[in-house]
Amino acid sequence: MRMKYVLSEVLVGLWRNVTMTIAMIITMAVSLFMLGGAGLLYQKVGDMKDLYYENVEVSIFLKTDVSPQQRDDLNAKLKSDPLVKEVTYVNKDEAYKRFQEMYQDAPDLVNAVKADQLPESFRLKLVNPEQYKNIYDQYKGTEGVDEIVDQSRLLDKVFGVLTGIQTFALVIAVFMAAAALLLVANTIQVAAYSKRREVAVMKLVGASNWFIQAPFVLEAVVAGLIGSILALTFMAVGKYAASGGSLAALEGLITPISWSDIFLMFPIMAGVGALFSAVTGWITLRFYLRV
Amino acid sequence: MTKTYPKASRPSLDNVSVSIEKGEFVFFIGPSGSGKSTIIKMLLHEVSPNKGRVVVNGKDVTTMRSWKRPHFRRSIGCVFQDFRLLPNRTAYENVAFALEVIGKTKAVARRVVPEVLELVGLGGKEHRYPHELSGGEQQRVAVARAFVNRPLILLADEPTGNLDPDTSIEIMRLLDRINRTGTTVVMVTHDSNIVNQMRRRVIEIESGRIVRDQARGVYG
Repeated sequence: MRMKYVLSEVLVGLWRNVTMTIAMIITMAVSLFMLGGAGLLYQKVGDMKDLYYENVEVSIFLKTDVSPQQRDDLNAKLKSDPLVKEVTYVNKDEAYKRFQEMYQDAPDLVNAVKADQLPESFRLKLVNPEQYKNIYDQYKGTEGVDEIVDQSRLLDKVFGVLTGIQTFALVIAVFMAAAALLLVANTIQVAAYSKRREVAVMKLVGASNWFIQAPFVLEAVVAGLIGSILALTFMAVGKYAASGGSLAALEGLITPISWSDIFLMFPIMAGVGALFSAVTGWITLRFYLRV
Repeated sequence: MTKTYPKASRPSLDNVSVSIEKGEFVFFIGPSGSGKSTIIKMLLHEVSPNKGRVVVNGKDVTTMRSWKRPHFRRSIGCVFQDFRLLPNRTAYENVAFALEVIGKTKAVARRVVPEVLELVGLGGKEHRYPHELSGGEQQRVAVARAFVNRPLILLADEPTGNLDPDTSIEIMRLLDRINRTGTTVVMVTHDSNIVNQMRRRVIEIESGRIVRDQARGVYG
């Protein structure tokens, strides 16, 4: 019976101030969506770092007029270098093959380039990809070396952008969360005011504190949960749009976000939404109800 | 005990010591601001004295933790000048509400509430809303709500303050009847007429001090 009383109070409470309830749920949903998005991105960036840095290479391109002697010397030096894990030699034909594969969508470009225009190169895998600088300093001046390119520099830029987006999403999440929590506090104040007579009687006859507070706190929690469900819906719509629509191009770059990734995000969003709402509601009541 | 409110120039209650026995009927009288209501608030654990102790029903209220307060209050019934009924609930629902919020089932309420409404003389008016009842009847509902849980003590803070003399006497008869069931009644009042008629213990307070404590007293 008491549970039924509390639940009906929650529904009445949410309905009494329905415009405010909607505002509260929407802000909460946007905030949680941003939080969830940032979480997903964080996960993905982690996955991608593992994947890409595993395969990252340093390329040492040779001058077109490099002599076989210079090439063999360099090869021997690289093979004995403790910083280098693996060395692969790529000759002009192979370079051309890779080039054709990479630009198969642009046949004009492929046709314009001849096999002997592409430089030979050594592809290195480093024991520790961070030590690129040492390799660069060591081999920059070596005869026959034209250019040293580190793919990880490029990846750093990509990851920099992704981290930027993630930070941006988190900042928005925080601001929206602040707005949502203020709305929660306000809603609870309004609810407590409209129920001040009941609360006064309950205090007088000795209703327990949890029983007085529960409907208010649960009101905030329910709003938080509805907000998180809405946020999940945003994400599902986002994934649907991304897989079919204009964002499909990103799929190749970012490892694909699966449905299970999204659904795994839900408990976090729901938990954060419910917990923060409950704590805010409870603190508001301490000030406003003084029970 | 002594109670000084912050920012007050003199204590609201200054070295007051009173002992009320179980089953007594006591009037606290005195001019406004003399400290009568502070005593009620202390008995309810709403305020604590700065010095001294308040012991209710063998429990030291002064050192009671606030989370124990709800349970403590279940042994005290309260009636006020302004009735404090819930306007959107009937007489029955007002009384039942007090039971249900302390965890009693609806079945218990169905058994107990009509009984207590009958006792206060509201039989047949259970389903009226407060605005459909007279002042005296509303106060009867309030008394029923205070008494339904069979408290050890009934505190009444000027319960007749808003009622005409005849109705006041009826309410006093009701309180007297409740007192006869063994419930201690502590009543704060300005109403000299009532005090003189009842001839019960009278404690007069002035400027935070007890100036008179008289068994079977009059208003003075």
